[in-house]
Amino acid sequence: MKRTPLTFKGLRYLVWLAPMLVIAGLTAGVVAGSWGPVPLVLILIGLAIAIGWLISESRGGFWRRRSTQANTNGLVATLAVVVILGLINLLGVRYSQSFDLTENQLYTLAPQSQQVVSSLDQPVKLLIFAPTPNPTEERLLNNYRRQSDRFSHEYIDPQANPVLAQQVGVSTMGEVYLEVGEGDAVTRRYVQTLTPQQPLSERLISNAIARLGSDRSAKIYITQGHGERILEAGQGGLSEAIARLQDENYVVEPLQLTEDGQIPADADVVIVPGPQQAFLETEVEALETFAQGANGLLLMLDPTTEPGLDSFLDNWGITLSTDALILDPEGQAVGLGPAVPLVTRYGPHPITEQLSGMSYYPVAQPIALTEVPGVEAVPLLLTGDQSQVQPIDDQGQVQLDPDAEEQGSLAVGVAMSRPVQGNGTLSEEPVDLLENGEDGESRLVIIGNSAFATDGLFGQVLNGDVFLNTVAWLSNQEGEVLAIRPKEPTSRRIVLTLGQQATLAIASLVVVPLLAFAIAIALWLKRR
Amino acid sequence: MGVLVSNIIAIYRKELQSYFASPFTYVITGVFWFISGLFFAAILLGPTGVIAQVAMQDQFGGGAPVDVPSQFLIVYLGVIGSLSLFILPMLSMGLYAEERKRGTLELLATSPITNWAVAVGKLLGVLTFFFTMTVPLLIYEAIAFLSADPPANPVLLLVAHGGLLLLAAAVLSLGMFVSSLTDSTILSAVLTFGLMLMLWVTDLIASGVQGPVGEAIAHLSLLTSYGNLIQGIVETSDLVLFASYIVLGIFLTAQSIELLRYQRS
Repeated sequence: MKRTPLTFKGLRYLVWLAPMLVIAGLTAGVVAGSWGPVPLVLILIGLAIAIGWLISESRGGFWRRRSTQANTNGLVATLAVVVILGLINLLGVRYSQSFDLTENQLYTLAPQSQQVVSSLDQPVKLLIFAPTPNPTEERLLNNYRRQSDRFSHEYIDPQANPVLAQQVGVSTMGEVYLEVGEGDAVTRRYVQTLTPQQPLSERLISNAIARLGSDRSAKIYITQGHGERILEAGQGGLSEAIARLQDENYVVEPLQLTEDGQIPADADVVIVPGPQQAFLETEVEALETFAQGANGLLLMLDPTTEPGLDSFLDNWGITLSTDALILDPEGQAVGLGPAVPLVTRYGPHPITEQLSGMSYYPVAQPIALTEVPGVEAVPLLLTGDQSQVQPIDDQGQVQLDPDAEEQGSLAVGVAMSRPVQGNGTLSEEPVDLLENGEDGESRLVIIGNSAFATDGLFGQVLNGDVFLNTVAWLSNQEGEVLAIRPKEPTSRRIVLTLGQQATLAIASLVVVPLLAFAIAIALWLKRR
Repeated sequence: MGVLVSNIIAIYRKELQSYFASPFTYVITGVFWFISGLFFAAILLGPTGVIAQVAMQDQFGGGAPVDVPSQFLIVYLGVIGSLSLFILPMLSMGLYAEERKRGTLELLATSPITNWAVAVGKLLGVLTFFFTMTVPLLIYEAIAFLSADPPANPVLLLVAHGGLLLLAAAVLSLGMFVSSLTDSTILSAVLTFGLMLMLWVTDLIASGVQGPVGEAIAHLSLLTSYGNLIQGIVETSDLVLFASYIVLGIFLTAQSIELLRYQRS
């Protein structure tokens, strides 16, 4: 049967289905990640059409035409060039060199990080439980990967991979873990939680890697027996806080000072969470001895309680007025009530340098400082400018007296450190000190409230972060292994007077464009 | 070798003449200058501009330190990069399509000058013209850097601007190839624009694909490489990518003209 030219011509265009179908099949396969029947059938049909086209064309002496030869040569050459360029790019990526021309090397790892990563002796993997990477994070992670082949990272969408997320113990989006080892011996360490305020941090990652070697986890004792916050779950309990501490590799145990009489030698941090009754004299002595060594002590003291620690606190230059609390109109403004100081300002300190946002402390007392030689004190948590101190009478009623105290920003929490006194003889083994790798500092944080870390409030706003960062600093677990300053650009301003600005605006908006249009018109007129 | 260079220069001069003598290109230039001036005024000087924002931040105290000139440079060149996507296809659309329309393409294809020498000459010509178009922008950026206190490092500016030229060269090179395929300048511009848009958003596509394929697609993105350069990060892999696009464009153009000789009509 002789084909009419028209149908032949029409059929010829069907050949374009071939590449379309092949590409569709490849795309479907790549996107689905598996080569099921659908992609395979698409590719096969595409190939069949291409073969059919070649056969039908060859009947008309297709292969003998000069254009076919030229086309084939061209096709082969083009394919060759594309492949060569692809290979060059592959090598280019593999052996890429990066030059950071920014002034403060904003996009380069700190030398400490470079060292810790390049000296890795086992593969580590950073697991980031977030759906999509962002370019800044990718750049940081690539910088790590460039230092060592043993470092790798993976983004895991916890919703797409709930089993792994549960295995690791992910509770919120954006948690980052460092994974070491393989198979059954795999261990994971919590690094940080990504928030808009706290992006992926080189400091935290490098410190997590650096700490891999030392597996000794810091031990925390929480005093009990003076009406303190209980460790169990429930209203006013500390169970959430303790769970998070355990997640972060701390060992947490209760401490019955009355029974034991002294603080165990392996304690790194002692927390005193809101005692209602006074400590005995021997207990205060035990605390004092503890606080002279290279240890951390966290005091959370509520107003109207008398823990009997005055003499101890005097040594650090702290005065508490136990019969006063802070009234903060800002707390009222956000619906928390006037007796809830709202803290949005944080002092310049390792505990709070990464924090931005609010935290609140229901019923807190102000902490007044006097300078003591040798003690370095930094107010951590500062209330708004309109907060006041109001006295409380015997019945526990606030005596409102607007003129009584002046308004101003008050400290709810203070962090202090001083050199180890004496030989820090808390423990008989001096090895312990060395093992901690500490720089010989006694650390104390005092917060005029204990409710902020209790169940229900711990997870609110930044309360939990304040608590965890504090414990981390006290236990010397954070920032001290590697002190990496966050990279910051040089502060720089453009100085232009208003007149200069106006001139610039006119020049860029009117003069320069008009110049081009004027030339266009002149040329056009000349041509005519 | 000397002949080759003089051939390229001859083509280059002819191209430059055609650009600088055409009222049409000046209209494009005028529009480009107006829009880039608009962005300059808005980003640097306007009420929501960088200067005003930082001044406000300084007034209320606190906040991270800001390097205003480099901040401005990153934002401004980011916008200019996108703007160039619209402008560059208009510059490249006539490169070969015009020759084809006038019937001079056969002369070029059969002339003793090799096809790729013609392509290189044409590309250099149009790139030079684009560079002239960006000179006022360079002056704006230089003003921002010169009036900085403390003084800013001009290397950053030059690298960022070099990035813009590399981006332009890559786009123009591919645009030149598209232009050699058709005799309609409009079609050539639209196709180039579509192609650029594809390359521009590849990182979006790549984020949907896992594994090495996704990484490979992500590497093709012009946006990421350009973004690195304007921030002051010179990665050799980015430079290789730009060079690959430029070489690919020139090669494909030469191939498509080569095929013209034997085309069945």
